[in-house]
Amino acid sequence: MSQDEIFGKVKEVLVDALSVDDDQVTLASRLQADLDAESIDFLDIVFRLEREFGIKIDRNELFPESVFQGDPEFVQDGKVTPKGLSELRERMPFADLATFEKNPKFDQIGDLFTVDLIVKYIASKLPA
Amino acid sequence: MLLKDQIAIVTGGSRGIGRACVEALAKEGAKVAFVYKGSADAAAKLEADVAAAGGVAKAIQGDVADPATGQRVVEEVVKMWGRLDILVNNAGVIRDGLFVRMSADDWRTVMGTNLDGVFYFCRAAADVMVMKQKSGRIVNVSSVAADHVNAGQTNYAASKGGINAFTRALAVECAKRNVTVNAVAPGFIETDMSEAVRNKAGDAIAKMIPMKRLGKPADIASVVVFLCSPAAAYMTGQLLTVDGGLSLGASVG
Repeated sequence: MSQDEIFGKVKEVLVDALSVDDDQVTLASRLQADLDAESIDFLDIVFRLEREFGIKIDRNELFPESVFQGDPEFVQDGKVTPKGLSELRERMPFADLATFEKNPKFDQIGDLFTVDLIVKYIASKLPA
Repeated sequence: MLLKDQIAIVTGGSRGIGRACVEALAKEGAKVAFVYKGSADAAAKLEADVAAAGGVAKAIQGDVADPATGQRVVEEVVKMWGRLDILVNNAGVIRDGLFVRMSADDWRTVMGTNLDGVFYFCRAAADVMVMKQKSGRIVNVSSVAADHVNAGQTNYAASKGGINAFTRALAVECAKRNVTVNAVAPGFIETDMSEAVRNKAGDAIAKMIPMKRLGKPADIASVVVFLCSPAAAYMTGQLLTVDGGLSLGASVG
């Protein structure tokens, strides 16, 4: 399945789960800041993606909940530490960390949950 | 008709307030499945009465305190009628007694039916209303006895206070998905449950109530219908007291 096809299906899933308009969903859309997703919506999105693509998504794999639990090794003065960033890289290999690293404010961590993240994650789960 | 073709479940539906809710919802056009535990005759009579009045009601036997019942009933209703729009958690019991003599059984029985039952049914209904439909109405039947307490009801007051807090917390989680969760707090209502107290205290109770009469089950059912109707679309997490003024605490002159 091509990236475009995956994006088309992901878009359908998000339109249904979040009751947003088709044209609101772009690859760059952030689920929380742009599409108003709440925690229950993340759960719903995972269910719907599993159904749509016939894959199994482990809890905490696509959308890790509370990545650091306020661990001081990972977060200091409201910013994610270099150690925290390397942890993030491991936990969220498909997230766009390049932009986040420039100003790694902990309270912006939700911005990593983008449509692009979902598309790349799905692509990695589907047989080549 | 306010609720034409809506699909409803009422627990504790064969008698008292539950029965009045079944009749009132059916009268407004809803198809109502009601859960009863032991009163098979009353349940069969209610099915027949509703049918005679031109409505649809279906009795389902089950104990709401059993963790499996909520899921089973919700699945049966969705299989039968395709969706679930309304859940009225009404089933309740009392096991009154002074606290120093209250057994763990009396505590467990009241919490199991009154509070655990609400959890099990809401949990099953939420899968349909919140995750699939993104619409629905949940009404929990509480009691003024949660906040205006009586001696001998530590178990009952705790279960109903639990319902009130549960109602608010669940309302927050469901709000964005167009599922409202509200509660009704009846005062003194003429039901089988209150019969023993009524026989003992008789007219003294009516005198304590500013409106000078006990409530009828239909007085509660009409408010439940309101909470399920389009008129209450923007209300969630609220507790409506329906008690003829009893909880105002006024000394009636």
